[in-house]
Amino acid sequence: MYKQIGHKHPISRMISEINSIFSEIGYTFAEGPEAELEHYNFDLLNVPKDHPSRDMQDTFWFKDKDVTDPTVLRTHTSPVQARYMENNKPPIRIIVPGKVFRNEATDATHEAQFYQLEGLCVDKDINLGHLKGVLEYFFSKFFSGRTEVRFRPSFFPFVEPGVEVDMKLLDGDSKLAGKWIEVMGAGMVHPNVLRGSGIDPNEYSGFAFGMGIDRLGVMKYGVEDIRDYYNGDLRFVNQF
Amino acid sequence: MKVVHSWLGEYLGKNLPEVSKLEDLMNFHTFEVEGTEKVEGEMVTDLDVLPNRASDCLCHRGIAREIATLLDVDLERDPLAEPISLQSTKEIEVKIEDKTACPRFTASIVTDIKVDESPEWLKKKLKALGQRPINNIVDATNYVMYAIGQPLHAYDADLFPKVDGKWQFGVRFAKEGEKVSLLAEGGKDEDRLVTLKGTELLIVDNSTNTPIGLAGVKGGKFAGVHPGTKNIIIEAAHFHPTITRKTARGLGIVIDASKRFENEPSRELTMFAQRDIIKLITDIAGGTYEGTVDEYLIKKPASRAEVKFDNVNCLLGLSLPNDEIISYVKRTGALIIESNDDSFTAESPFERTDLNIEADYIEEVGRIHGLLNIDSIVPEKREVKILNSRHYYSDLVRDKLIDLGYSEVITSSFQKKGNLQLKNALASDKSYLRDSLNKNINAVLDANYSHVDLLGMTAVKVFEIGTVFANSDNGVSEKTVIAIGVRTKGNGYNPKDDSELTEALEVLKETLGTSLNWELEKGVAELDLSETIAVLPVPTQYTKIEERSPIQYQTISQFPAIARDIALWVNEGEEAEKVVETLVKTAGEMCVKNTLFDTFTKDGRTSYAFRLAFQSNNRTLTDAEINEIMDCLYKQSAELGWEVR
Repeated sequence: MYKQIGHKHPISRMISEINSIFSEIGYTFAEGPEAELEHYNFDLLNVPKDHPSRDMQDTFWFKDKDVTDPTVLRTHTSPVQARYMENNKPPIRIIVPGKVFRNEATDATHEAQFYQLEGLCVDKDINLGHLKGVLEYFFSKFFSGRTEVRFRPSFFPFVEPGVEVDMKLLDGDSKLAGKWIEVMGAGMVHPNVLRGSGIDPNEYSGFAFGMGIDRLGVMKYGVEDIRDYYNGDLRFVNQF
Repeated sequence: MKVVHSWLGEYLGKNLPEVSKLEDLMNFHTFEVEGTEKVEGEMVTDLDVLPNRASDCLCHRGIAREIATLLDVDLERDPLAEPISLQSTKEIEVKIEDKTACPRFTASIVTDIKVDESPEWLKKKLKALGQRPINNIVDATNYVMYAIGQPLHAYDADLFPKVDGKWQFGVRFAKEGEKVSLLAEGGKDEDRLVTLKGTELLIVDNSTNTPIGLAGVKGGKFAGVHPGTKNIIIEAAHFHPTITRKTARGLGIVIDASKRFENEPSRELTMFAQRDIIKLITDIAGGTYEGTVDEYLIKKPASRAEVKFDNVNCLLGLSLPNDEIISYVKRTGALIIESNDDSFTAESPFERTDLNIEADYIEEVGRIHGLLNIDSIVPEKREVKILNSRHYYSDLVRDKLIDLGYSEVITSSFQKKGNLQLKNALASDKSYLRDSLNKNINAVLDANYSHVDLLGMTAVKVFEIGTVFANSDNGVSEKTVIAIGVRTKGNGYNPKDDSELTEALEVLKETLGTSLNWELEKGVAELDLSETIAVLPVPTQYTKIEERSPIQYQTISQFPAIARDIALWVNEGEEAEKVVETLVKTAGEMCVKNTLFDTFTKDGRTSYAFRLAFQSNNRTLTDAEINEIMDCLYKQSAELGWEVR
């Protein structure tokens, strides 16, 4: 007899898949609050008050009367890096998929709320080659095909060197195949961030990366307007 | 930052690369290229200069120097390497109240100039950068800023008095409530009167204590250059980045000058800028240079860093020999103060205020050498020791609910009303944070009922797992909740919704093996999942994800769907799939969904009832055309021996 079938939201579907891929190489699924202290969202990540690097992320702030310390809706999943490093000794390998918020006008490629995937690896002798290897491993699994990754210089206050990551699907007949696509920011964890979270940068090094899960869905499924993830329309959800 | 290629060529000479080569150099070694276009006959490239290099690269000389570094050539002409010979003057006195806020202040006097239009070459350059030429004096100050990165400001010297034969400049903080009248902003005709908070730094005429400008942000109306101006004083100073930034952002006057100051350009630039502006103004506006005053209160010592060769290779994943590492560092203009087999000490060039620690130099080596040269290291298989309970149990619940016909939604964390309001909301209907998912789930149920036929659903069944927020004694508290909703009828809540829901809640109770404290309210049930998971056993292994065929999202049609039912008697044993396949083929591409909603068998015959949904991507379908399609289906069924009920 007829049985109605439900559908998993594509963001949840991707998070499960991401976790499954990263858990194979020892990455723990970590988490942190969405209402985050300024201390973790900015200060510990080497983004000082009144510094131009704060302009890179438009921020929602809570009212002073509602909080004891300045609090924001986290603008990225990166504060979980600092929280995790404060509470765990290296070797550290984590992913942090989670909701983040930006105070900016919305359109088909921008939402005030979206999902980000953070990755952090801190151990002895970690270098940019490890970062590249992990990303190629992830993209190859996630997009079901051999994938190449390349770096271009960039700047994020919490990493140095900072890189922009492009990926290319090497084969297959997907629309993505054969061309370089800018997918995320990454880099080697800034010594100030390691030190600030209680890890000695002379002993350990690490890499971190952050990408939009919404955008991964645009690439994987051909989603056209990222606002569709959040409007509760089952004509969208039930396609997944 | 826009750069004009011919302008870069003034410094790079024969080494100026072709457009595509320049773009590649920038993209793969320094900054992302936004694009290159021809403006005013000039090739102009827009570069995304990020905050780490905004101190030295928001000018043509900076970009030219960067290109020279990457090409391993010298600049043919480097304004920052050419000597400065300016005479001093006793006609200006400068009093600086706080030397941290203003570590350096220089001012030059040029008399007997003529304010006029700028020469064509200058107007052309400014226009190529998208700037509107104003007059030769203002244009000259902008030109020097775009050339070497030091903002400048010109005053009409006759509009403020000399005391004891001296112009009296002061730099002090504003008083709370103090007002200053500012020059019109670009593109606007009206001057602007602003009231200050007391944190802003002012340039004042000290003889009368009158503000003549907001330091580093905007000139005052008082003493502004006008068409009849004869004698000018040109200021080139260094203001504290944070103070300038706060003032500019606080008043909403973020302009090219303030953007440069807030990124801390080198203090050394001021006198280079004086040298260049005096030459330019006397060239294009005539006049006589009288002299310059230079109040340099705090010099910033050259920054040195010790860099270990091992650390360079360790962080980049390269194995560069020591001399190659040294050569890259030298190419930035840094000096090698000393070196041994293990490490070296570098001193940054004065304009590179961003080079301070070892990691800064490692980054330079990496990007000059080229990040494309980094080889990937394949990760090893490792086991995860600690599992995420929230994720594990959330997925367990998801799978169960999906099996029961529920679809998952993710809705907005913002809402129109509530208890927890943001300081700076995006819109008035998004200014509070949700403290429950109930409202959102109800809205989703209402909005989706009209799609039941299109989606082949008997009822709208949805759930969300998400964060909700509340006030607490220690600030904002949050928890993960799950809400489940059912809508069985189109006109809102119906008691039948609750009985459907209760069934799902029973299944979840069984799945999680614990009693659950649901709040049930008119077809929507909500549960504190954080609290629930806290008492559940720690998971030991994640559930394997099933392989699925690739999903390709299809654009949702904006046109309404029409549903029709068809019930048929067929011979017992004829499969529903085969029957509906035949029907759908005949119905054509407008038939976008088919759902078997009733089956029973009697006397050797089976009755199938299908609901067919019709929809077009580009128009509203009419009843008449659907009737026509249905007639075809009836006719075909009869031909196949299927009796339409």
